[in-house]
Amino acid sequence: MSTLEELKEAIINGDAPAAKRLTGKGLGEGIKPAAFFPEAIIPAMDEVGRRMRECEFFIPEVLIAARAARGATDILRPLLVGDPTQRPAGTVVCGTVKGDLHDIGKNIVAMMLESAGFRIVDLGADVAPEKIVEAVRREQANFVALSALLTTTMVNMKAAIEALASAGLREKVRVLVGGAPVTQAWAHSIGADGYGKDAVAAVELARQLVARA
Amino acid sequence: MLEGEAPVNAAQSEQLSAEELAGGWRLACQCSVEGDLVIELRQWDAAILADETPFAFEPRTGWGVAVDVGTTTIVAQLLDLQSGCVLAVRTALNSQGRYGADVMSRVEFALSPGGLEELQHLIRRQIGALVRQLLLAARAPGQEVRDIVLVGNTVMHHLFSGTDVEPLSHYPFVPSRAGLEVFSAKKLGWELPGNVSVRFLPCLGGFVGSDILAGLLATRMGESEDLIALIDLGTNGEIVLGNRERILCASTAAGPAFEGARISMGMRASAGAISQVAVEDGRLECHVLGNIEAKGICGSGLVDAAAAGLDLGIISLSGRFADARNEWALWPPVKLTQGDVRELQLAKAAIASGLHLLRERWGGSEPVRLYLAGAFGNYVNRSSANRIGLLHYPPERVQPAGNTALLGAKLALFRLDGEDGSYQDLRRRVEHVSLSADPRFQDAFVQELSFAESAHVYQESEVEAALRRQMAG
Repeated sequence: MSTLEELKEAIINGDAPAAKRLTGKGLGEGIKPAAFFPEAIIPAMDEVGRRMRECEFFIPEVLIAARAARGATDILRPLLVGDPTQRPAGTVVCGTVKGDLHDIGKNIVAMMLESAGFRIVDLGADVAPEKIVEAVRREQANFVALSALLTTTMVNMKAAIEALASAGLREKVRVLVGGAPVTQAWAHSIGADGYGKDAVAAVELARQLVARA
Repeated sequence: MLEGEAPVNAAQSEQLSAEELAGGWRLACQCSVEGDLVIELRQWDAAILADETPFAFEPRTGWGVAVDVGTTTIVAQLLDLQSGCVLAVRTALNSQGRYGADVMSRVEFALSPGGLEELQHLIRRQIGALVRQLLLAARAPGQEVRDIVLVGNTVMHHLFSGTDVEPLSHYPFVPSRAGLEVFSAKKLGWELPGNVSVRFLPCLGGFVGSDILAGLLATRMGESEDLIALIDLGTNGEIVLGNRERILCASTAAGPAFEGARISMGMRASAGAISQVAVEDGRLECHVLGNIEAKGICGSGLVDAAAAGLDLGIISLSGRFADARNEWALWPPVKLTQGDVRELQLAKAAIASGLHLLRERWGGSEPVRLYLAGAFGNYVNRSSANRIGLLHYPPERVQPAGNTALLGAKLALFRLDGEDGSYQDLRRRVEHVSLSADPRFQDAFVQELSFAESAHVYQESEVEAALRRQMAG
């Protein structure tokens, strides 16, 4: 097995120490930092997403796999700074809406998007619309990803979209929404650009929107 | 109808299919019985847990009514305050149920125009009717009732009192008015003889209401020298840990898996539900309520099934079916899917991580005894609950405590001469902990998702290593 294949396996198995060690080993073998993403990290997280969809992986397995992937990307990112071919696929401001503290689903989506090459600005949970507006402006984001787990806090997704509109930023960003009570119909009714029923769908959606832009 | 003759009339052939009639089904209200019959009653609804626990009391004069106002079910008992005798019991499904099964959907409905008024009207009318039925059942419709004590979670408290529930719709979930609410029966529109005062006991904080305050009275936690825990295993799981020094309480959204909801063949604990599963000589033995053909599985059956699956190696410690199958034929026609196991993992992790965090807050001491309140807690097998990591405690330390809300409401009824029901002293010692605001809650939750016994050791690296080993194996 090549070092990149081993790294892919280590990420899928959630072995963060091995992922770090193999990244160092690969760099020592002369593998270009940029090559790690298409040849190990992205396929590994795609596989994790597939297993999650098929109920083979559950929240803990996905989280530790994402943590292992981060072990590798933390080593690689500094080496890619200044490389014009390695611009992120897009910048995503994400958060759980105001009044809601559910974090886990949003974290999984953020980690999957990150592994897929997006730059993530995670605002955490209980995020007020103003904070979202501010982050979009500051980070020049092109995506906003919002999560809500309560039927009573879903309405704050609408408030966030309205705040973006009044700040004149609505046309600059694509808004993606998700979370247990959220549906495609809800996304449509509040004027969001897309709905992801799970983390895999969110990544697919973001990729499609980037390709279309 | 198992044996004998019960002729079919027009009303029955209209209501029942030919197949049902041939299968022996009859409408009892339409049958004239002229000879001996052997019949089996169809149980349509789940049994509602009342309370018959003996208790110590100071006699008062007159009659009183204690009511447990649950999100799903309501239980009311009429008592002779002199003798302590329960004179009548009435149970019902909460009539607000049509506007949502759980507290959050009730809150959502209450926030819609006219919603709060509608829910308030429904619950007041229903409880008023239950009290009148109790008096009729005791053959004393003209008898004066002195006091009525109601207990329920914070949402039930607010909806009965007509208090704004908006603050309960979002973090930090602080009730607007958590205190004792006193009404006269007349003001509530209840046609009862005499001047009856109606008290809804105060909440403890967040969603933790007077049903749990009543639970503290029932378990005497406020007087206990030992550290004890009271856990109500419902859609909103409430956890209390304390002794006479200090009491911590919290609620955690366990989801409806323990009630059989969101489980592919899940159902409530009524006829046809698999309620117990055991492994005998390497084979599954299922007990079906009502001794009829199995139709589904209820919460206690689900916990047993997961424990059996772990014992038989069908379910791995990560929760995945070990041979990569997607369903497990439990007891034809009832199956368990991979998704069902995941729902159970979410529910049990919410409870286990909540208790873990309260223990940490307390300083790491282990409760000497754990009382389980509510119907599910009464029927769940304690060894299975331990096996799946719902409760990391040996069965002998876990005690089903029945309907502690109703028992506590009765105790409060007898104490009204000395204590007005505001329980200021006790409430002062209770600290409500907002679990979701604790950054460690989500880590604890994720770790408790696994069925591994060691998940309760919170050394991150160790847990990660354990999860990796499971996946590798």
